[in-house]
Amino acid sequence: MAQSTVLGAAGHMALVALVALGAACSPKQVNRIDPATVTDLSGRWNDTDSRLVANELIRQSLDGGWVRRYSDAHGGTAPTVIVGDFTNKTYEHIPVGTFVNDLERAFTTSGAVQVVAGAAERGDVRAERADQQQNASASTRTRMANEHGANYMLQGEIQAIEDSEGKEKVVFYQVDAQLVDLESNAKVWMGQHKIKKYILRKRLGL
Amino acid sequence: MSSPMMTRAAALLALAAVACTQQHLDPQPVTILRTGDRAPSADSTVAAARDRTAPAQARELYARDSIMAAAMMGCAPDVCSAVTRGEVTLGMSETQLMAATRTTPAAWSIRRAGDAAIYTSARMEQTPRDMVAPVALVQVQKGEVAAIAYAEPTGVRTVARAADATADAQARATAQALVREGDMLVAAGDLDAALARYDRASILLPNDPTLEYRIATVLDKQLRPIEAIVRYQRFLHQMELERIQAVGDAYAKQAEAIAHAKERIIVLEKH
Repeated sequence: MAQSTVLGAAGHMALVALVALGAACSPKQVNRIDPATVTDLSGRWNDTDSRLVANELIRQSLDGGWVRRYSDAHGGTAPTVIVGDFTNKTYEHIPVGTFVNDLERAFTTSGAVQVVAGAAERGDVRAERADQQQNASASTRTRMANEHGANYMLQGEIQAIEDSEGKEKVVFYQVDAQLVDLESNAKVWMGQHKIKKYILRKRLGL
Repeated sequence: MSSPMMTRAAALLALAAVACTQQHLDPQPVTILRTGDRAPSADSTVAAARDRTAPAQARELYARDSIMAAAMMGCAPDVCSAVTRGEVTLGMSETQLMAATRTTPAAWSIRRAGDAAIYTSARMEQTPRDMVAPVALVQVQKGEVAAIAYAEPTGVRTVARAADATADAQARATAQALVREGDMLVAAGDLDAALARYDRASILLPNDPTLEYRIATVLDKQLRPIEAIVRYQRFLHQMELERIQAVGDAYAKQAEAIAHAKERIIVLEKH
């Protein structure tokens, strides 16, 4: 009887030791990888889609003749763009800021287009400028009512169409962007990029 | 059922099942990026755009600065002042016209005939502008600006005399355009919109009795007697009856309006 109790306790201890060993050797692994690497896990919108959209909109907008037309008409001055509403009309959570910021960065880096702070950003800037009028010395104070007016507003939207049957799913994303002349409402440039994904979910053991 | 019959039935069933089986998609030939591939970068596109745009913009800026320097050499003080302010004025040279609008020849479509030239925008959507408004057309005669047509929200305003270029003249032209719009709205029966146009015009033309008379008449038609009386009285006051004594042919129209205003004041005050 006593021998069987001792054997039972040893079995329990062995089991606990096995569980502990299993936990210590858990398969979780974290690696830093190149942000340009394509990593499709769930099939939903991801960083690669954002990058592809940004690349295509950058190419289309900078290759479009609107920059040249504006510069020619204004003695070489670069046009100024403000970012307006970029609407996500899909049911997915899509952070549009990633590719919109890429587009803004490309405009600024290229030197072909000037970008001014949009409605979401300028609140802080204006508050700081107003604060300076009270608290900064006259020689370092920034001037009020001297903002650079934009010529064009960048607007856009992203839409998605889904189709699925069994283990298969197709998702189609369409991103449309446009630059609208703030004075005349004329659309001077329209860009578009489409992504179609085919997702096949393989069941384990099948 | 015999065995061959069963075999045939099974074969038919299998055939039907195969026919109804969903066709699987094979995305293999059109796959663009797979897991593990590298997404392309836009850096080369941006660099190419910079290399392409920067020299063109620098060339245009250099041309604009050269035009400005040439325009400012030996110019009359008032023309120099206008160029510096960025306003096109009559009597400017073609170089000064470009300097005032901060443009180069690339912005203009220039048509010449003898000693005259017509400057219009090279592109419909990019009209050159000075500090006043977009410049739709400039007529140059013997090397000097003879007339300017501005594209304003109320229509095209032409400046062909020095008096037309003043701020007062601009206000008068805008007010007249608003009065014309108001008259059209009255004719269309939209009295509220017409009154809005007349009110805006009356700010630009504060002492115009005919405008006051129009406003009074509209208010009278809208059955707003108190405001109508005030406007009729203001109209009479502005006409300065004692001084004008409007009885001659030249004032026949005003005399009729004066008589009507007096009559309406009496009628409205009685109610």
